[in-house]
Amino acid sequence: MQLNQAQRELTVKVVYYGPGLSGKTTNLQMIHARTRPEVRGRLLTVETHDDRTLFFDLLPVFFSTANGFKVKVKLFTVPGQVIHNATRRIVLQSADAVAFIADSRRSASAENNAYWRNLHENMRENGLDPGETPVVIQFNKRDLPDTRSDAEIEETRRRGKEPVIGAVAIRCEGVLETLYYVLQGAWRSLEARAQLSKNVGLTEGEFLGQIFHNIDVKGTELEERFGPVVGRDPDKAAGNGGGR
Amino acid sequence: MSDPTRDTLRLVEGTGRRESVLQRKLTLRDMLDLQTFTDLVKNFVELYKVGIKVFDEKGAKLADIKIGNGDFCGYVFSFPEGRHRCTATVSRVKDGPISPSHGARMPLSSEPPPGMIALPCFTGLRYLVTPIRWEGDSLGRVVFGPFTPDDLKELPLSLTEIDQGFDVARATPMMEKIRRAPEGTVVKVMAHFGQLLETLVAAGQKTYLTSQMHIEATLESNKELEARNKKLEEMNARLKELDRLKSSFLATVSHELRTPLTSIIGYSEMLAEGLAGPLNPEQVEYVRTIMEKGETLLKLISSILDVSQIEAGKLRLNFEPLNVLELVHGSVTSVKPQAQKKGVILETRLPPTQNLRVSADRDKLKQVLVNLLANAVKFTNKGGTVSLFLSEVGPQPELGADGYRIIVEDSGVGIPQDQFDKIFESFYQVDNSSTREFGGAGLGLAIVKSFVNGHGGQVRVSSEVGRGSRFTVVLPATPPQPRTTTVLPPAVQEAVPDRF
Repeated sequence: MQLNQAQRELTVKVVYYGPGLSGKTTNLQMIHARTRPEVRGRLLTVETHDDRTLFFDLLPVFFSTANGFKVKVKLFTVPGQVIHNATRRIVLQSADAVAFIADSRRSASAENNAYWRNLHENMRENGLDPGETPVVIQFNKRDLPDTRSDAEIEETRRRGKEPVIGAVAIRCEGVLETLYYVLQGAWRSLEARAQLSKNVGLTEGEFLGQIFHNIDVKGTELEERFGPVVGRDPDKAAGNGGGR
Repeated sequence: MSDPTRDTLRLVEGTGRRESVLQRKLTLRDMLDLQTFTDLVKNFVELYKVGIKVFDEKGAKLADIKIGNGDFCGYVFSFPEGRHRCTATVSRVKDGPISPSHGARMPLSSEPPPGMIALPCFTGLRYLVTPIRWEGDSLGRVVFGPFTPDDLKELPLSLTEIDQGFDVARATPMMEKIRRAPEGTVVKVMAHFGQLLETLVAAGQKTYLTSQMHIEATLESNKELEARNKKLEEMNARLKELDRLKSSFLATVSHELRTPLTSIIGYSEMLAEGLAGPLNPEQVEYVRTIMEKGETLLKLISSILDVSQIEAGKLRLNFEPLNVLELVHGSVTSVKPQAQKKGVILETRLPPTQNLRVSADRDKLKQVLVNLLANAVKFTNKGGTVSLFLSEVGPQPELGADGYRIIVEDSGVGIPQDQFDKIFESFYQVDNSSTREFGGAGLGLAIVKSFVNGHGGQVRVSSEVGRGSRFTVVLPATPPQPRTTTVLPPAVQEAVPDRF
């Protein structure tokens, strides 16, 4: 978090972490497609010739609070390929929350675990306490054969305290839910650390509302809460939605 | 060109790591290549004949291309009141709020770009000002103008009243050099410029971030490699220490085995010699077998002790001046019975001198010779020849010093070329099968190599399978002093359990 009281600016950093080809960039692309252009920047991607992330992707989402504080949420992805560990560590620097995008195929368990460990290692290297930094686990690619059963995912959920969300990112299923939980985690952690509601006047409800009221949440679990987007035809948004 | 103070190194709290460019708020200067940008602005100004000024968020000028208004504005500026009003207008345009207040209003357009304002000048000319917004931040402003709005029919009072000497007839043609256009048209042109600028900023941001990230990632990778090297070095030192401990253990055990074994051999000898009463021939045979096997075992244990002491770094060589010729004679004498028993011819080729003085460890060097000779005899069949050659002391190129050579050659079974290095390893046998023809623990040559190395010398082998082998030992006349190694403590790694 970067809080500039003089300029009344708050920057929150969320990092999408996980093994190569687990769908981190796809998550950001979906969020980009479903967010009103007025509240987001361009999706900056730096990729290799074969569409693999080279350094990072960056999607900024911004709004002003009711009492005039400028809030910017920066969504980053790390490069998933093993060789880019140094870059992963740099991108993870000062993260306020992490979305861990796992491949839910059973055959990917070893890699998921390796990157989970890698995440913890890089958190410590960055002075982030893995016990304190909010992490949300997304089990992506639920539509592929060999995917874990619901019971197995439930089992993973029980084994830790992180929220676990099933997803098919290419259809935007579970993507916004993941974003919701990771932003909620970020706000709660910042509230505990920096008392956002008192010092910035930013409540959890306003923080999430300012963002999700500007995202097309049709067909997701968030629809009931954040309703249709004003002034925009939701049917034209990317993907058909869908829950977990 | 970027502000150097922006590049000061900032560290992430509590880690000593340098703060990434990703944590920084970028400025227009970071993202624009000013030379290219200025060229673009120039082309744009020439095309549309309206001046453009670009300021960053701190009010610093990034580009300023004027067109057409020089004469007119210069004339107005030449009157004190004109100068006063002009300065106020410029200040309003450059530093004032980008909102329809303080003399500004919304532009005359059905769809003005967000944030754009129109600012009338007291001369009747007009400016358009638009903020440069990027990801919700304001990075600066673009000022378009002045231009002559097409609704301006005559110079306003606010201009003509600045001085009694103001000459309208002179000012009018000057003003006509300034681009005359409907405000709505200029708004559109400006909106187009805004889009171009946004594209430039997007491309510039990407270039800037990736080039900076490239540097950061390279630095980070280097740091990682250095750390890994250090870890490997520590691990290597630890492994060496473990190896030394293992050898040390082996040395202790071998030593402890030797003591009771010596007693077994001693008491067997006493029994065989009848010191405890007469034995019948069968008993004598048995006891002699016990003695023989005991001796074999003792030799083996002694070899293990030697090797383990070498590996534990406990090998102490006592260099003293000696005559190598004496040592050679002694070694040949001790192997002779074995050679005779087997029917192998043992010959020596020695230098004519009677005294070859060098510095060496007498016992160890003798063992080198005995091991090489005994090995040669062992692997040579009946009727074959084992010969020992000794050189005089002279320059030895492979040592870079004065020294001497000992060559032990045989006409035995030979050694395959791919085994040349391995035969000098402890416990290695060319024929490692359980039914092998030749006995031994595979320590003889390992001991030879260690002892020779301990003298600062070299040993090598050349051989042809079925034709025989040749071991060449090159030793310095004066051996160097031995070295020591250091050991580091083991590293502790906290484990993260599986999560998936």
